[in-house]
Amino acid sequence: MLLQLDKISAFYGRTQILRDIDFAVPKGSCVCVLGRNGMGKTTLLRTIMGLVDKMTGTMSMGGEDLSGARTDERAKHGLGYIPQGRQILGKFTVRENILLGTFAKPGRDGTIPEICLELFPYLRENLNRRAGELSGGQQQQLAIARALAVDPQLLLLDEPTEGIQPNIVAEIGETLAMLNKKMGISMILTEQHIKVARQLGDHFVMMDNGRIVESGPIAELTDEMVDRHMTV
Amino acid sequence: MANALILGISIASIFLVAAIGLTIIYGTAGVINMAHGEFIMLGAYATYAMQTYFGLPYFLCIPCAFVIVGAIGFVIEKLLIQYLYHRPLDTLLATWGVSLVLIQGTRLTFGSDPKYIQMPGFLSSNIELGGVSLAAFRIFVILAALALIALVWFVFYKTDFGIKVRAVTQNREMAAAFGINSKQVYSFTFAFGAGLAGVAGALFGVLNIVLPTMGTGYVVQAFLIVVTGGGALMGSAIASIATGEMQSIFAMLLNDSFARFLIFILIVVFLRFRPQGLISAGGSRR
Repeated sequence: MLLQLDKISAFYGRTQILRDIDFAVPKGSCVCVLGRNGMGKTTLLRTIMGLVDKMTGTMSMGGEDLSGARTDERAKHGLGYIPQGRQILGKFTVRENILLGTFAKPGRDGTIPEICLELFPYLRENLNRRAGELSGGQQQQLAIARALAVDPQLLLLDEPTEGIQPNIVAEIGETLAMLNKKMGISMILTEQHIKVARQLGDHFVMMDNGRIVESGPIAELTDEMVDRHMTV
Repeated sequence: MANALILGISIASIFLVAAIGLTIIYGTAGVINMAHGEFIMLGAYATYAMQTYFGLPYFLCIPCAFVIVGAIGFVIEKLLIQYLYHRPLDTLLATWGVSLVLIQGTRLTFGSDPKYIQMPGFLSSNIELGGVSLAAFRIFVILAALALIALVWFVFYKTDFGIKVRAVTQNREMAAAFGINSKQVYSFTFAFGAGLAGVAGALFGVLNIVLPTMGTGYVVQAFLIVVTGGGALMGSAIASIATGEMQSIFAMLLNDSFARFLIFILIVVFLRFRPQGLISAGGSRR
């Protein structure tokens, strides 16, 4: 297993959000985290990144225990994070945003990895543009490029298609499929679009009230499960 | 009027040199550092000590002041400030306490009598500039202010450290998620700001006598510049030029005390309508 979570609970202040999560990501696979809003999907990714106030349980990556590691140390173990709402640094240029990702890259040489610009030619043509001026879809491309600059073993994608134009959603889906299937980058993907999840995922976990209530290969994700756990 | 404008530039350069270290510490880490004036004082004493006890030439004493005060700032950040980020009132009180300790510590070490820093001979003459006779050292301070602005700009916009500092200022979580240790960045930023205050001390120790209490006067002016400028480097530069020029012009038209009074009033009115200052440093500091 690339990533293994055992009995993970997570807290914001005194409020417990995740309860006894057991979760694993096989190397090269894409695991979709599904569930309604507020069920703990984003917190699960933030917990893996070390961005919650308190975490109990154990987390290991490639066999190395990262349970007590700081966020910056976890990132340096090959975690590429694409957060909800993208959170690109609006005052930075496109170039600086991508360079930010390289600080977590082992053997950093201070240059932008070619793959980031190869995948997104628009970014290459606008390296000196302020990132805050980009459209939502372009910012999402930038967020993916920034995470790729880490040279990640595992990408954590938090609703990457949220608020994106439908034609760009398909484009982003294709890019993610290529990264996972052709380049072998493992992924954890939280998604509301069940179609995107079915297209990209190898496995799924369904979350409800901070717990994993269903899991298995994506082929076993039934419409009944979707209706029960995702329909508002 | 031309005389007043040239003198205004000289005053502005002093304001800017005093404020630049505080701009970095406040603008990036959000720390209201009440000990900034004492860092300036320590820079003056470091220069005096290097010159008197080690016989170093003045121009070598300036980088020494940067390193010595920067190191002191680093230690203070590690021992105290790092526990107080995002608690502005506690930071304010703690750094005020630090300022008192530094004043008394300096008094115990060097005594209360004034010290003097020798400047190089060629800086002790006067130079005619646009019909105004200006001390060569004041022109040196103007050049030093420009050099410090260039240095800070280079460090912040052309180095990895600068990218880290600006990333942490904009979004600490995202910076950490991409491998940046924000605690370390804050420590070095505080040390850098303290070191720049040390350079200010090396310059001001020549303009005035060196005393343990000399920093008190500078810290007020530095805070006015930083708050008016909004915590951004360019904001501080503009605020320094504006207040320096106004002080010079008002002093020419009225008198020096009334000029200061008017500037304080104008700054209060300005902040009433634009509390974020001229150019907001604007980090979310999450």
